[in-house]
Amino acid sequence: MAVSGFEGFEKRLELQFSSHDPVIGIGLRELDFKSLEQVLHQVQCTVVSALGNHHFDSYVLSESSLFVYPTKIIIKTCGTTQLLKSVLPFIQHARTLNLHITALRYTRGSFIFPQAQPHPHSSFQEEVVYLEDSIPASLCYRKASVIPSKLTSHSWHVFSAGAVEYSDNLPVDLYTVEVCMTDLDQTLARKFFRHPNDGKNGDTAGREMTEITGINRINLNAQICDFAFDPCGYSMNGIDGDRYSTIHVTPEDGFSYASFECVGSIYNDDMADMVKKAVRVFGPGTVSVATTSATQDMCTRIKAAVEQLGMKCRSFSMDEFPAAGEVVFQTFTSRRKRI
Amino acid sequence: MGEEGQVISCHTINAWNQQIQKDKNRLIVVDFAASWCGPCRAIAPFVAELAKKMPHVTFVKVDIDEMKEIASDWGVEAMPTFLFLKDGKSVAQVVGAKKDELQQTIIKHSGNSGTSA
Repeated sequence: MAVSGFEGFEKRLELQFSSHDPVIGIGLRELDFKSLEQVLHQVQCTVVSALGNHHFDSYVLSESSLFVYPTKIIIKTCGTTQLLKSVLPFIQHARTLNLHITALRYTRGSFIFPQAQPHPHSSFQEEVVYLEDSIPASLCYRKASVIPSKLTSHSWHVFSAGAVEYSDNLPVDLYTVEVCMTDLDQTLARKFFRHPNDGKNGDTAGREMTEITGINRINLNAQICDFAFDPCGYSMNGIDGDRYSTIHVTPEDGFSYASFECVGSIYNDDMADMVKKAVRVFGPGTVSVATTSATQDMCTRIKAAVEQLGMKCRSFSMDEFPAAGEVVFQTFTSRRKRI
Repeated sequence: MGEEGQVISCHTINAWNQQIQKDKNRLIVVDFAASWCGPCRAIAPFVAELAKKMPHVTFVKVDIDEMKEIASDWGVEAMPTFLFLKDGKSVAQVVGAKKDELQQTIIKHSGNSGTSA
């Protein structure tokens, strides 16, 4: 492991809003681009590509992704971004559209280089204090917890808060899967390096990476918005109806990392297969999978799918959170790796 | 006519057919967009700038709600989608608010050699 390098592990924020107006229309999608850029500036990232459909807008950022639905914002950033600084601005901008926040969930894995993180991310305790100060009192159900695994390098940090009106009406048909992969197979990771003088730009190089790595075959129904960074690194957002998927890659040896996140529906059967395809793209030494409000059956199927790649399940733990339901955290290591 | 250097909005099928016919000897770049789509709004200023810089290319904007049939005919599923037409036929497509790819595809198909990218 390198002494220092780029932090691939992301910080993820999900904000849920509601309105007292019976008609919400396009809600948060109405936010003008300048306002979004303003918030992103506070987090130290910018938009490099974007794509939308009838259900939501997706943005590929210089440091990960942003998804804007009528009543929900999901923002995921890596490196040393100060993600939590977006909470107050998002709440304020939503208020101008008559939307008030009803739930917030913050999740992340364990940083490879925790000492490099700026305030308020220097510790989970600091993050929780900052979040508690940022959210209104109406989000009265709150819980912060770290779900451990047998690997000290992989724990799952969760802070979840919800208002009474949200917590009484938890949506039951959608769930989220967050996959974090480290110690990537070097040959596979090399595909995410730009070739010097390739005559391409970030967009066309990104498209090529999507195709040669098979990322485009993870979900054949999705429209993909991809980008390749210089000299290396890759990001993509996939949009499929009202569900997104997103992949981010830090390919450098010594701190290699890749993430795959996807929204699943109880009406679709393909999640375990998609997770398997995504993990196969990277050949990682260690995988962690965190699911939020997925069924026990789906968690078991995902476990079986990852094990089919020759990985061994090291831990399977869960915890219950307000406004989020059950969070299940599993870790796997490849059989070539010794703990 | 005051239309060169500007993005032309087509609101009816007739207007669309007329525009495509009128400029069929030029490269026509069609921006399929929606008012409720953030990425479309994000790239709109850049498209307007390109139209100003490249008056020999025709830029057309189509609202996919107003022109559902046209959008469906050309297989538009996500926005923005940029369609490149020459002589009524599609020669390229850029899906997403991708500034570099949009600019380079225009240069490639507009017969404007310009300086290398």
